[in-house]
Amino acid sequence: MAAAEPRVKELASKLYDACVEQFDADHSFYQQDLLSVSVIPNDDVMLLLECAQSLVNQKLFRLLEGQNKRLVWRIVAREDAEKLRNLSDDEGLVFSVIHSSGRSGVWIRNIQNRTNLHKSILDRCLKSLESKNYIKTVHNVKHPTKKMYMLAGLAPSEDVTGGAWFTDGVLDANFINSVAGFIEYTVSRKSWYEDSADRGRSNKRIKTINGKADVKSETKEKSFLPYPANYPGYPTPEAITRAVNESGITPVQLTPESIIQLLNMLCFDKKLVALNDGKYYKSLKDPEAVKASQARKPMEDSREPQPIKDLGKNGMTESPCGPCPSFRLCTPGGAISPETCEYFDPWFEKNLGF
Amino acid sequence: MMMSQHAVELCTLLIEDHFGELFARIFTTLQRYERLSLPRLKFYSRLTDRQLRHGLTAMIQHHLVYYFTSLEDNNTYYESNPHAAYYLVRSGKILNLVEDRLGEYAARVMEAILFLGHTSVSHLETLPELQSLTPTVPNGVANDNEELQEDEMDAEDQPGKTNGDHAPEGKPAPFHATIKALASHGYLMRVRDAHFQSPGDNLLEAQRTVSSRSDIKALKGKRQQETVASEIQELVHNRTHADLSQELMVNGLPRGIKRKFGHNFNGLENGVGEHQMTHEEIHWPEDGDGSDNTPMESGLVVRVNYEKLDVALRNARFVTLAEQDAPPATAEVYDCLLRHVEYATFRCRDTDEIPREREEGEQWTVPIDAERILGDIDPCLDLSGAFAPLESSSQSVNRGGKRPLENGVNGDHEGSDDESSGPNRVWEVNQHLQLLSQPPHNLTSCVELYGVPKWRVGFRGLARKLRHLELERMIESRYGDVAIRVIRVLHAKGKLDEKRLQEISLLPFKDLRQTLASMQSGGFVDLQEVPKDAQRQPSKTIFLWYYDPDRVCSSILEDTYKAMSRTLQRIKVERGRLKDFLEKTERSDVKGHEEEYLTEEELELLQRWKDKEALLLAEVARLDDMVAVFRDY
Repeated sequence: MAAAEPRVKELASKLYDACVEQFDADHSFYQQDLLSVSVIPNDDVMLLLECAQSLVNQKLFRLLEGQNKRLVWRIVAREDAEKLRNLSDDEGLVFSVIHSSGRSGVWIRNIQNRTNLHKSILDRCLKSLESKNYIKTVHNVKHPTKKMYMLAGLAPSEDVTGGAWFTDGVLDANFINSVAGFIEYTVSRKSWYEDSADRGRSNKRIKTINGKADVKSETKEKSFLPYPANYPGYPTPEAITRAVNESGITPVQLTPESIIQLLNMLCFDKKLVALNDGKYYKSLKDPEAVKASQARKPMEDSREPQPIKDLGKNGMTESPCGPCPSFRLCTPGGAISPETCEYFDPWFEKNLGF
Repeated sequence: MMMSQHAVELCTLLIEDHFGELFARIFTTLQRYERLSLPRLKFYSRLTDRQLRHGLTAMIQHHLVYYFTSLEDNNTYYESNPHAAYYLVRSGKILNLVEDRLGEYAARVMEAILFLGHTSVSHLETLPELQSLTPTVPNGVANDNEELQEDEMDAEDQPGKTNGDHAPEGKPAPFHATIKALASHGYLMRVRDAHFQSPGDNLLEAQRTVSSRSDIKALKGKRQQETVASEIQELVHNRTHADLSQELMVNGLPRGIKRKFGHNFNGLENGVGEHQMTHEEIHWPEDGDGSDNTPMESGLVVRVNYEKLDVALRNARFVTLAEQDAPPATAEVYDCLLRHVEYATFRCRDTDEIPREREEGEQWTVPIDAERILGDIDPCLDLSGAFAPLESSSQSVNRGGKRPLENGVNGDHEGSDDESSGPNRVWEVNQHLQLLSQPPHNLTSCVELYGVPKWRVGFRGLARKLRHLELERMIESRYGDVAIRVIRVLHAKGKLDEKRLQEISLLPFKDLRQTLASMQSGGFVDLQEVPKDAQRQPSKTIFLWYYDPDRVCSSILEDTYKAMSRTLQRIKVERGRLKDFLEKTERSDVKGHEEEYLTEEELELLQRWKDKEALLLAEVARLDDMVAVFRDY
């Protein structure tokens, strides 16, 4: 056997090269495939077995069990094999489990189940692998408490990171708000027609004839007109994505999917409206109003008791009973009653000014 | 009719406010014990025979009490009518609406009818305050429309009686024409005998009558049931049918529509010509057929048709909704469309209860084409200026084309201009309506019939949107704008766990959890647990958040009733604080001559009190708007 060793090794290396050349990296090799590259003379099955075993030993081949309990091999890149050769058996086992999980990462408990290693051994293996910079930990948005590992060279998939809006598994609220603000303004500029000054004046005159002087249009220099219903010029998600990526407010390029996610959010805020099932987006407020409300936002944080009311007021929000914390306890003649209510007097003061 | 505690409290307060304690006592007794015969009612209410008889008669007159005389035991049973009691609060709004639509005199006629509960036309005719077109002024107190509501409140002490010396000036009031206009709009209805009985009694009686008929008895099984059901429905309908509008409409339009454009030429802010305006406000087709002011059948007994007025009030809400997003001209066009729709809509919905969310089908109103609407639109309303040109390249052409119309408006020759741009205006009206049909509100919807676009309104969906809007307003004011986004996501997507909720709403976990928790304690959202195993461990349980607008609506409705009664009770408290002073101002010699008898401080105090009362009453009216949305629309 010993004499045959170098020959096998040589053949094996030839076989490996041929396989890399003729098949793509994640092809599963059955015996037939390996013979088909015609490196093994006379289709000698025994020789093939020896070669394959030698490659597996060198970590250049990975042995798997395929359909019907047949043996299947897969190629491993030379660099990876180099890494693997430097690892102990346990470490190799752990590495291959993590490798198999690809871009989605694998939970530490799942590694333990798959490898059947003792916890302390597993911990040691992971530590050494991490110190060699072969693997890394990742945060999964769906399971923030679980410790997940994946190969160091891979970028975590969208499922794991939660998409463009998460940084380190946490939602990046500032980033979202700045992009959302930009989108709203951009869409708004395209959803309204900016009226020139002289048309605005003639409009005003007509309004006074109607007896319906519109105060708003008099104070503003610019007035905005809506487009007719079948206007085709509203921005599409693709156009919005392009505008966002060109604006330079994002460090990374955002995909249309992430932008659509954000557009949906804006629709839930009733800032935008989707037309034709999301084919176009239209802004409900004209650019001036958008600007004004965005400028107001930071002030709102300082004066918290008065949030901006975009929706307007109704009876319950105006009445002192609406925000009353003890409303449910209030009964005539009770400890909390309309007779002893302390919210009415400030309310009178506020509304009547005395 | 079963009512909740807060609704009953409110109705009692309203009755007490309008009619005094006797009525309120009878009403509460009937509410508490449901249906009572006279001896039992006397026993429970501890009132004398005389008081009871007086009270009940007047309450029946106002439809606050139903009665039913059973043929079997010859007893008469009395039952309260909380629905009529609640509508007392809406009288101010109704009068405003009528005044807006049909002018000041019509509002006064309406006021008299409201004040009398129901009355015959011949009686109304003899009322002194309806003799002249100019409002008569009792004892010098100005009868401003702002005070209409207070007048209603004080109606007990001030029965609209004039001093009598005022000879009716000017030309005689077009009383019959006004009554006809009111009736043809559907604001009035005929009073039938069956209206004095509760709907339940009417149904039972009809059932008895139908099932005792020999031809029904001959039938058997399922067929009998079906026939009985349909016969009962028909009989109840025949007995309670009270619509006056159909027979009085002219060419499908009610009489005496106040022409919007005529009114515009008068100039609202004119102030000087107020009296002349009352003459011209109503467009009487006097020149055409002189038959208009011929008396109606004098035996006709009428009352206010609240169902129809709710339709009109609801339309006003939709117009304000349109005003929010659309240009003013569009809102005006929409107003005209809704006016036409109103003529053909008799009630807000056909079912008694508002159906549950997502279980409610859409009911479309009659389609109306733009040409009919155009007839009602102010000819000098600039329809074209409200839109941007479709393509920015054609901008200059379009603007050039608009100029002659502008000149027409400013100059005097709009008549000729109008005719030339006739079809153009139809196109423009269609454009406006198309704009309204867009999301988010979808205020109109287009159907093509024989190639002509016609417009209709889906009231059920819109009423639902109004309800959601009211809820969202409350949520926004209580929990901030983050909460609204969460609520809308939950509403659109159904039940969601926190992760999915975060992905869609894009909110940081901390904010999301805080908002959800505070909304849960406020009763706006709920949490459902779905355990994965029998142990129900929290770690192995899925938690789903959901938002049930039906449930929230009904609880907010109760809160609104409660807030209304608290506000009314507060008026009493405030009045109690100033009791002595207010009694002085209400003395018969002081009233109307306040400036002579009261010192300056007292006058100021009186003014403050009036402001305060007005504010509280306005608040009640605002809360009533919410009740209307949650219950009536």
